[in-house]
Amino acid sequence: MAVIETPPETVNAASEPATVMPRAQPTGLAGVLGSGDHKVLGRLFIITSLLFGLAVVALGQGFAVEGLAPETLDVFSAETVFQFFTFFRVATVFLLALPLVIGVAFVVVPLQVGAPALAFPRAAAASYWGWLLGSGLLVASYAMNGGPGGGSTEGVNLWIAALALVVAAILLAAVCLATTVLALRTPGLTLDRAPLFAWSVLVASIMWLVTLPVLFGLLVLMYVDHRHSATSFGANAGLYSRLLWVFRNPQIYTVAIPVLGFAADVLATTARTRVAPRFAAQGAIGAFGILGFGCFLAAATPDSGAYDALIVIAIGLAAVLPVLAILGLAGDLFRRGSFRLTAGALYAVSSMLILLLGVAAGALGSIPRLDTAGTVFDLGVTNAVVLATIIASLGGVHWWATKIGRQPANEGLGRLAPLVLLLGSAAVVLPDLISGLFGDGAETRLDWTGGIKGLNVIVVLGTALVGLGLLVAVVSLLPLLKAGTDVAADPWEGQTLEWLSPSPPPLTNFDAPLPVVLSPEPLLDLREEK
Amino acid sequence: MAETAIGLPAAPLPARPRVLLVGTALSAVAAFMAILGLVGIYLSARADVISTGATWLPEGSNIPLTPSNMAFATMLLSAVSMWWAVDAVTKNDRQMAYLALALTMFFGIAVINATSFLYTQMHLAVETTPGVLIYTITGAHLAMIVVGLVYAAVMTFRTLGGEYHGRDHEGLTAAALFWYVTIAAHAVIWLAIYVTK
Repeated sequence: MAVIETPPETVNAASEPATVMPRAQPTGLAGVLGSGDHKVLGRLFIITSLLFGLAVVALGQGFAVEGLAPETLDVFSAETVFQFFTFFRVATVFLLALPLVIGVAFVVVPLQVGAPALAFPRAAAASYWGWLLGSGLLVASYAMNGGPGGGSTEGVNLWIAALALVVAAILLAAVCLATTVLALRTPGLTLDRAPLFAWSVLVASIMWLVTLPVLFGLLVLMYVDHRHSATSFGANAGLYSRLLWVFRNPQIYTVAIPVLGFAADVLATTARTRVAPRFAAQGAIGAFGILGFGCFLAAATPDSGAYDALIVIAIGLAAVLPVLAILGLAGDLFRRGSFRLTAGALYAVSSMLILLLGVAAGALGSIPRLDTAGTVFDLGVTNAVVLATIIASLGGVHWWATKIGRQPANEGLGRLAPLVLLLGSAAVVLPDLISGLFGDGAETRLDWTGGIKGLNVIVVLGTALVGLGLLVAVVSLLPLLKAGTDVAADPWEGQTLEWLSPSPPPLTNFDAPLPVVLSPEPLLDLREEK
Repeated sequence: MAETAIGLPAAPLPARPRVLLVGTALSAVAAFMAILGLVGIYLSARADVISTGATWLPEGSNIPLTPSNMAFATMLLSAVSMWWAVDAVTKNDRQMAYLALALTMFFGIAVINATSFLYTQMHLAVETTPGVLIYTITGAHLAMIVVGLVYAAVMTFRTLGGEYHGRDHEGLTAAALFWYVTIAAHAVIWLAIYVTK
């Protein structure tokens, strides 16, 4: 054999498929920092947003206490109260509610649609780290006397840039989530068979993708304006009034779209029956999403009269209907099925009731003759919608505990938490709504005077209850951190694919290839066949 | 014969919607909405000023139509060249694909050049409200063009590397989709800012 000829054994070896050496998965800090695993990223979103939630609840309590006697109790000085107030409102939506719901969706949605991973894992990782960086810079901007109404030009510039980064990160997360539902569903799982939580996340992601870019564009505009002259948006204090559309109805409803999907999914499983008619549930969630399209108000100022337009009134009134539709379907589930009292069901019902309060108040506030625009009534509506989202997200962490963490959550404390949160949320929201309807003026003045003094006592109690409810919920979730043995894959007799995944799920989510899905409730089909 | 047929491997699963294409479509919609929102704010601010009887553009400022028309025409031409690139890859005609992609990039750079020339002709200070709005909107669109060009360049290199071909041209189609949306955004800006002023 000539030396240039290839030995036969080499040819054979080259013809054989290469042996793939499994790469060791990094553990510890490296496993967290470099991970593109949707479960790790989801957990990070959940934990970090709950930490920001502590600051938000503390601030809310501060405002509530100052409202007891604004003249004598100066929790916040007159110079800084507006900055604290804007931080409170921005943080409730962008540092707490949205990332919390995204965190739950990051973990659950790929499992529900039978995907081995989230679409664009590196983009998903970038969305978390970008959001964390933006959130940190946002806090830093306030620390250097920035934010709307701040005294430092650099601080205000940083605030605008940081909020733009947070919004961009949320948009990136929305692209990953929507693409996962649209393109990574397992064979047979058509869009009309997609689990209702996954469907609601798809609707929410699309609505965020068509509305939040307008906010991003507005922030870029503000940054350019503020860097050069600060004339077009009324200097530092005027920035906030141009962003109000994000924090009020209809736009604020886009934050709460996954609440409907969570409630429908959990209540159907709890009742051990199917959602029927399914298209009505999907239609209601879709309609609620469309009715949250509020970015057309981006050019409006509170005194421009844009909120009195017929379309805004119509949206405000119509938004109640999808929430009622889902509640009606839930009632039908309990009528047909066999009800079980689970923490998940209590979370679902509590979040739906608070959301109903929010959209009903939003409908009332849409009537121009009641003249609630710019009062604490708006704050009440936003708080209701955001609190509903937080309750549902905490419920999601509890319900999918064995997929998100290592062990099931504490069921007893898990049943207590939504009840405390429901009571606390009602006590926070109702006084603001009443104050807005009867006698209160603008939601912010030079010093904090939001709400009617007497009713603010109830707000103090409500905020304390919300804080307590969050604490109980967090304590009930502590078992998720401990390693467990023989954790059940399907503790609730689930209906959808995530319950086929082992608990906790492996890196590729499922141990074996999934069968072709033939109905929206494949696991229920399997049980009925047996 | 029959044995051979039975021995064939199982048919592949039905094709799924493509991840990169779907992700790009969603991102393109988001980028388009950002431009649309900015143009909406521009039109609203302009209407507010005009309703008071004042003129929108400050005295001494002007937006000449010729460079903006040339830029828009070039963008439209780039739509043809981008379509040509995708078509060439579909037909496995690599040489034509490279030529068409190079032409698209040339057109894109020409639009950036034309817009920067327009800036020198407008005599519009950024400290004014129209200045802030016009520079932000057109600047955002230039950023979109740059993203589209980088995306197309990456896909060109991948095509050069043999990743995309007649049966699989998802990446190039995705880059083309983003580019078409960039052109649509230019059309909105051209009409709302350059023509209507």
